[in-house]
This record gives sequence, C-alpha cells and structure tokens, in this order.
Amino acid sequence: MELQGFQGTNDYVASEELMASVNIAIALKKPLLIKGEPGTGKTRLAEAVANALGKRLIIWNIKSTTKAQEGLYVYDTIQRLYDGQFGEEGVDDIARYIKLGKLGEAFDSEEQVVLLIDEIDKADLEFPNDLLWELDQMEFYINETKRTVKAKHRPIVMITSNAEKELPDAFLRRCIFHYIDFPGRELMEQIVRVHFPDVEEHLLNNAMDVFYAIRSLRDVRKKPSTSELIDWVNALQIGGIPADKIRSALPFVGVVVKKDEDLELVRHSDLS
Amino acid sequence: MFIKFFETLRAKGLRVTLGEWLTLQEALDRGFCGSSLTQFYYVARMILVKSETDFDKYDMAFEECFKAVQRETEVGAQMLRWLDKSDMMELAHEQARDHLNKTEDLQIDKEDVEEKFRARLKDQDSEHNGGSFWIGTMGKTSFGNMGGNVGGVRVGGQTGYQSAFAVVGARKYRDFRDDRVIDNRQFQMAFRKLRQFSSRLDIPETELDIDGTVDKTCSNGGCLQIVMQKPRKNAVKLLLLMDSGGTMIPYSTLLNDLFQAVHKSNHYKDVKAYYFHNCIYSKLYKTPECENGDWIDTEWMFRNLDSDYKVIVVGDAAMAPEELYSDTGNYRGPNGGLSGYEWLKLVKRHYKRVVWLNPKMAPGKAPWREAETAIKEMFPMFKLTVDGLNRAMVKLMANR
Repeated sequence: MELQGFQGTNDYVASEELMASVNIAIALKKPLLIKGEPGTGKTRLAEAVANALGKRLIIWNIKSTTKAQEGLYVYDTIQRLYDGQFGEEGVDDIARYIKLGKLGEAFDSEEQVVLLIDEIDKADLEFPNDLLWELDQMEFYINETKRTVKAKHRPIVMITSNAEKELPDAFLRRCIFHYIDFPGRELMEQIVRVHFPDVEEHLLNNAMDVFYAIRSLRDVRKKPSTSELIDWVNALQIGGIPADKIRSALPFVGVVVKKDEDLELVRHSDLS
Repeated sequence: MFIKFFETLRAKGLRVTLGEWLTLQEALDRGFCGSSLTQFYYVARMILVKSETDFDKYDMAFEECFKAVQRETEVGAQMLRWLDKSDMMELAHEQARDHLNKTEDLQIDKEDVEEKFRARLKDQDSEHNGGSFWIGTMGKTSFGNMGGNVGGVRVGGQTGYQSAFAVVGARKYRDFRDDRVIDNRQFQMAFRKLRQFSSRLDIPETELDIDGTVDKTCSNGGCLQIVMQKPRKNAVKLLLLMDSGGTMIPYSTLLNDLFQAVHKSNHYKDVKAYYFHNCIYSKLYKTPECENGDWIDTEWMFRNLDSDYKVIVVGDAAMAPEELYSDTGNYRGPNGGLSGYEWLKLVKRHYKRVVWLNPKMAPGKAPWREAETAIKEMFPMFKLTVDGLNRAMVKLMANR
C-alpha cells in the first residue's frame, strides 16, 4: 500500500522520515509523539499537517498546572451555585454548566480535526496516564449529565514534548515516536529559503557558516536553533548588512545567542 | 516474523512490549515498509522505540540482526537492475552500461569501494560527467550520482531516506544515551524530578477555604461568597555537600554545572551548599576554594538545618583509609576529635535522606577502593550520570 497524505507544505519543510511518521501514525490511528531540540518546529508541524490535510487544528496547550480532566470537560459548580442564589433561569439544567475542554471539543467536532497536545511534559507526572483511556477509546463519560462523549471522527492526535520529564511507559507504548533531528545544512538551507525565497546566496551562506560554527562551540550553553537562524537572516536582510561583514562583525548576533556568557564566548572565539 | 529481532531488542535493554510488536506487524501487513530494509528500519523504530536515548541501542540490535541481509539486498538490487530490461527504449543504453559495469570488477564490497572513493577524492581536481574513472555524474564508476553503477558511494545530490546502515554505522544517536556523564541542561532536568514528587509551590488557588468562606459569607449578610486557597505545600529543602578535593579537580566543571542547576531550579523552599575536602570533618567550607577560616562548624549545620533537609553529597570518595578512619586523618584542617567515618555517621544519623553522587564510581564492590566501599555501605551511592542522578532523586523522595 502506498502511503498518501502529508507531504510537507509550502512553508514547512519536513524530512522524509518525519513525513513517513506522520502518515503511519494517521494510518495506524495512533497518537504521534514528537520530540526534538527546542526550535526544530515541533509545534509548527501540527499546523502544517492541519493545513496540508485541510482540517481544523485544535491546540491544547499544557501548563504545569493543567489537569487531564480539564481537557475533557469542566463542571462550573461555582457559577451554578451563584446562579442558584439569585434564582437565574436554567439552574436545574446541569448541562448548561458543563464546558467541554479541548479534547472534548475535538471528539465532539462534526468533522475530523487535528488535535495538538502541546508540551505534554510540562504537566504533572500522572497527566499522560490519566488520558490513556480517552486516547485509546476516543470517548469519555460525563458523570453529571450521564452523557458519553464519543469521537464522531477519530481526531489525528499529535503530541509534542521537550523531554523535560520522562513520560510513563504505558503512555509511550501507545504512541508512534519521532525525534526531530537538528536539520543538516542542506535541509536548513531549504527551510530558510521557504521563509525568505529571495535571500541572497552569499548572505545565507555566511550566516549559516557562522550559525553552525556557534552551534559547534563546545562551551556554548544554549545552542541556537532553527527559529533563531530564521530571525537572524531576517534581521540581516532588513539591516542591509553586506554578506562579507557577517563573519567579522557579527551584526545582530544577539538574535542568535541569548545568554551573556555565550555572547562573551562567541565574541572571543574564532568562528572560521 | 523477525522474532529474533524482537529478542535482540529486548536483550539490548529496550523494553519492547507485545503490543508494540503487534502494531509493527500490522504496519508490515499493511505494507507500510514496502520491501525496503531502510523503510523497515524507520517504521520499526518509530513504533518500537520511544526515546532518542534508546536509538543507539536500537541501532546496535538492528545491525546485529540485519547485517547479513544488507549484503544480500545489495547484490539483489544489482541483479534486479540487470534483469529489468522491460523498457525497450532504454535497452541499448542499459546494455552499454551493463557492459561497462561488467568489464569493471564488480564493486560490491563496501570497504573496497570506500577506499577507492577516498583515493580518487584525493586525486580528482575537476568536474567529470560520463566518464569511467573519476567521481561525477552519469558515469559508470561506483562514485558520484545519477551513475549506472548501483552499489557505489553516492556523492551529494538529492538525498531521501538516509540508508539504514549509514545511520547505524554512524551511531549518530550515541550522544543521546542516558548512561553517559551529564551536562548542565540535563542536570536541571533531573532536579525537576525532585519537584514533581513534592507538592508544587506555584499551584493556583484551587482548594475551598471553608473558614474563609464562612467568614466572608457571614459578613456579606448571608449571601454566599466563596474563598479559595492554595493547597498546603510541602516544599523540598535541599542541602548540597560537595567534595572540592584534589582528586575532584577533573570534575570541577561538572560540579559547577551541578551547582548552577540547583540554583536555577528555584522551586525549592531552601537550598544550602557547603564544600568539603575529601571527607566531611568538623568544618564545612563556604566556598569551593576551601580556605581555612571561611567555614562553618559541621555541628552548627546539624543544629540549624533540620533533619528534613534532603542531602546530596557529591564526591569521588577516593581517599586513603586513614583519611576516613583516623581521628587525625584530616591533613588540611581540624578533625574535631572524630574520624571522618564518625562524622559521616553523624550526617547519616541526623538527616533522613542522604544520597551520595560519585562521578567515578567503581561498579559493584571494589576492594581496591576501600574508602568508597565503606561509604557505599553507609549511603546509597549513585554514579553522576543522568541515569544515576535520576535514580538518586527517586531515592531522595521515596519513603524509607
């Protein structure tokens, strides 16, 4: 069988392995877990997939305080209590106070959607485990209203992680895993060109030389990422910096290197 | 199918489960891998391996199982290319290429090809197209791209998948293995572990404050007014004791990183750090330079930092037996009437949770390192790697 589907988009360059992972995850109906260095486009991938397949994207941003339950539904008891005090209309209708979370929204949607669970590792350790049943069966039960919310169309689930916490094995077993490697020079050039189609050859080459040189410095604390290179190329273009000045003067290098120690280091090293 | 691969993966320490294995079978059934070993490599990896730290183990298992297959496919592909003459338009062209290929010795042996490739790379000084010796396009040597020779080395041009064996051979995921010695970022990650077992400090007000609610409601004339409060917190207090002795000098950057990481993780209720030289005696130094006078009494620490502090001792535990056992063993400062061993016992008695991190720990019992073995018996000792630090953090948080 030939896998069809996601082939990258005009503004998102994906490696073949990544495309294969996306398509296989869709075909096998499993969540796709994406890991990778910050700035390698993990979150952007979901946007690109949604765009390419013409589906709506629902983003569930995870914070350190997010609970699994919030993704399903929230029963706003306090609002109901207040309403009850003042004798508002419809207080006896619990369903009025049930608000579906992002996962619930994705299940309840009339058409298939792409659901991005962004930075799942930010949440509590138990968080992924609490979602196992829901992601497997694509349904959940609302106790208060005795209603089962079942996915009308199984959403395409993509999950990103920055590897800040280990995810539980039981959760990992159910996922397809892809690690986004840091792009090599060729792919990187392609990526930058997607953002700036008319970037000057010489400028791009010099900027990339310096960029990879900085990344290869051993003591650098925070390695610059793709998004930082893109910002830098943008800044260089807007600033109208001549290409041959880039290596010697390091203009706007603060865009690429964010830490004071790193700035010192870069200024004092030989980047050739 | 491929049950040996499954077993090899498990033998290499990958916890591949039956469920994942069945998923892979489904993927194979549905033909997602085509008949390509390289595709199989990626598909199996994305289904079976769930962390980039395990890619290296996977690579090694893959190589072990499919190394033999690799050679066969290469020959097979070449044979297929020769046999595939269905396109009559190309026949003459193909035959010419074939002929050239056959007259040249068959370059299937990869090492041989690579050696020739390197030699020619050294000698070649210009662009070549259609030739039979140099690296170029449309030629018949094993090198370059768009050439007629299929078993050769590709030079530049469009790359699709990285060939499985190129990836395996490069072992490009070796750096991700979690049993290597750690760097600063990974330190910070590990210290977050300590947070996730404690109650968090930055939690929003989610608990109903009953007393507050009753008060407010009463003062509101009986109209309900709800007051929320933060859940009770049980913050972690951390005490860091670091060896700054001569044998630790090779690890000074590592210690510095550890220190930075602890200070950057500002979610602890309190962090204290002191230094010692080789072993803990009656004084603890405030700075890593361990200058006499710039110190606190170890007993002061016992009095002021209560037993709830979680203690991480970092040191190589490499000292002469008398430094540990003699009550005059401290050649650099006062002993305080007790041997280092006695002082360590006091630490153990005072604090409920102590772990020892050792950057160069000998595996198992090491009779030739007497001090280390003795300390290992007293404190749970972990090697200062990501894996070791993680286990140490778990130990610090776990109930006795």
